[in-house]
Order: sequence, then C-alpha cells, then structure tokens
Amino acid sequence: MDGVVVRFTVNGEAAAVRVEPDWTLLRALREGLELTGAKEGCGAGECGACTVIVDGRAVNACLFPAVEAEGAAITTIEGVAAADGSLHPLQRAFLDSGAVQCGFCTPGMVLSAKALLDRTPRPTEDEIRTALAGNLCRCTGYVQIIEAVQAAAEEMSG
Amino acid sequence: MARFAYHRPATVDEALGLLADLGPDAVPVAGATDVWVNLRSGKLAPRALVSLRAVPGLAGLDRSDDGLTLGACATHAAVEDDSWIAGRLPALHMACSQVGSRQVRNVGTVGGNLCNAAPSADAAVALLLYDAVCRVEGPGGGRDVPLDGFFLGPGRTALAPGEILTGIRVPVPRGRTVAGYHKLTRRKAMELPILGVGVRVTLDDGGAVSEARVALGVAGPTPVRCPGAEAALAGGPLTAERVEAAAETAAREARVRDSWRGQAWYRRHMIRVLIPRILLGC
Repeated sequence: MDGVVVRFTVNGEAAAVRVEPDWTLLRALREGLELTGAKEGCGAGECGACTVIVDGRAVNACLFPAVEAEGAAITTIEGVAAADGSLHPLQRAFLDSGAVQCGFCTPGMVLSAKALLDRTPRPTEDEIRTALAGNLCRCTGYVQIIEAVQAAAEEMSG
Repeated sequence: MARFAYHRPATVDEALGLLADLGPDAVPVAGATDVWVNLRSGKLAPRALVSLRAVPGLAGLDRSDDGLTLGACATHAAVEDDSWIAGRLPALHMACSQVGSRQVRNVGTVGGNLCNAAPSADAAVALLLYDAVCRVEGPGGGRDVPLDGFFLGPGRTALAPGEILTGIRVPVPRGRTVAGYHKLTRRKAMELPILGVGVRVTLDDGGAVSEARVALGVAGPTPVRCPGAEAALAGGPLTAERVEAAAETAAREARVRDSWRGQAWYRRHMIRVLIPRILLGC
C-alpha cells in the first residue's frame, strides 16, 4: 500500500494515518484508528450516522475525503465523555430521556447536538430540529432525542 | 470505486497547471458532497481530483457597500450564518439555509452548487435574482460570466476545459427591495426541491417597480430567469394585478416536465401559487 500520511488531532490527541486517495475520513477513523463509534449508514451524506466534528463543524465523515483532514481538529463520539469516563451532559440526557433505542444513530445525533450547543448554548426547539435534520433515527425516537438536547442545554447553561 | 490521484494545490495557478497537465480526466472538486457520491456510484471515474479546498482565500466572504463576493469555496453554512447576507440578500440566505442538512451545508460550497449545474440548484435560483456574476480563471486568463449565461444544460456550464470558477460577485440591489426564495418540498430537510421559485422586486422613489427578477429551479433543463414574468412586474406600482400577471406568465413560460419528484401540471400550478405567496411574505 502506498498512499499518504494524514496528520490531524482526534479527541485532543495527535494522530497520523496512512490513507489512500479514495479513503473517506470515516474509513480513516474506523480502519486506521479503530475509532468505530462513527457508523456508516448510507455512505452518501443522507443519514448522518457518520457525523463527526471537524474544526467545530458537524460533517458527514462518509463524504469527507481523508486527505482533507490534514491539520484538522476532529471530535468523535469516543472523545465526548471526560477523560475520567464521566459522561457529557448530552450523553447523560440521552440516557435519562430514553433517546437511545438501537443506538446506531446515537453517536451522530450526539455530535450534531454537540456542534449546535458549542455554538448556540440555548437553542430553540426549531434550531435543534434544524441541527438534527441530517440525522436519521429509524427507531424514530425523535421526540425523546429533542427533549434530551433541550435537557442538556438547560443543564450546561445553568 | 476506481482509484484516482488526489491533488491539493495551494494556489489557483497551481490548480490551473494541474488541470492543464491532467486534461479531461481530472475533475476539480470543492466540498465533494456531490462529487464523492458520484464517485461511489461509479457515475464519475476520473483519473484525478483537483481539490480547491487548500487554496487560501477561496472560501472567504467579502462584503462591501456594492455587494458580496463569495469565494467559490464558501460553504452554504457560511452564508446561512451571516447576518449581513440575511439582511441584504435575503433570498440567497433562504436558499443556502435550506440545502441538505447542516452537515452538508458545513462542507458543500455555493461554487460547487453552481458548477454541478443541477436544474434544482437552490443557490443558483437565488443568485439569478441578484444578477450574480461568476469569476472564472483559466489557462488563457480570467473572465467574468454573468450567471444568467453560465448554465448550458443539466450538468453543463460555460466553463471551458481547464477553467475553474473562483468567485461569485453578488451586487446588493439599490433602492427599496424585497426578495424571497421558496423551496417546494415534501419534507423540510434533506430534500431536492420539487420546484424552486425566487422573486425580487426593487422599487423606485415613486413606488414603481424599477427592477424585477423572477427565477425558477426544476422548471427547465437549468435554473432560469423568466423574462416575461419580470416584464409583467416592472414599470408601475406593485399591484395584485401585476403580481398575478407575472405568476401567470411564469407558469406559462416554464419548461416543466414530469419526474418522479413531481408532475408538470403540479409544478406549473405551484409557480402560479408561489410567486404571489413569496411577495406577500416579504
């Protein structure tokens, strides 16, 4: 395998991954770094299961060329909880609100919600719905998911 | 997915050099939200991609009294998040805010939306309302192409081989102006429009319509302006009769057709409905 080495930080730690030109960021994370929290659902930017945060913005890692991650700061679901393992308010709110069913969409949902709350600490329900519109939940627990984001926002902004 | 080389030039000149050397098998790419889907499906099998993402300055927004200059790699989210644009170019703001999902808007570029030349391109319809001008750079130098003449057909633009879009100039209308874009969809997000309708009306000091623009998406092979409807709106005060005449003319002129997303009769009918609705909502 030839390829190129892409360097970025993931969840605060420096990483270097050897990738092929046709690799997506999702493949680099899952296969190169064994961070399998981000899922591949549709592979076409429709479902949001692969959502990660790149330089503060939620993106579909399935459509993000791996080589474009050079120098970026990336957050995956593995980096959302604190280093001591205590859950992020969003993660706790998802559990408390019953916002997790099969769990396949959950990492993407949490990261879309985190990208929103990092920019907009007190979002309206409309803003939450807009921020999560690109994340599909086939168990259709949307109401609980929105309630979880509202609960986390309330807790985080005191 | 076929193997390809991925180039990340650091300047426009370097990108042009790569495209000249690699020839027609190289595809320029910005946000890749369309290109990557087509690579995966096999619809696109280039030998090389030439990414414009690492070229400094191409992602910027430049605001001045005269108007906005969007770098070709400015994202839909950059427009969505800009209150200056929301205030002065509201139809562009509405169109960019409704593309795909937040994840897609964070990466997908307005320039890419234009170069993809889909009949459904939301930003294209809005930019036609504002007489946007495309800045194109190529092996023979730079040139300006009015957006009105940029689209040649589905997926086809006025870009010659080896040329790239580097920016889009969007004049801010002078005078009292209202403008809006309506994206007709079955659901509120992650959708291409069944129909896209944009209207802009600028009034002179006496209250007469000095300039009118009507543009449609998914009503022909490319996003288009409707000169007949614009003529029906312009020249006098903005009355219900004028608006109805414009809506009727636009519906008649539109080259709508049946597709799985919507039928021609419905699209034609909704042009008639949405033109007045946009102006009432402004």
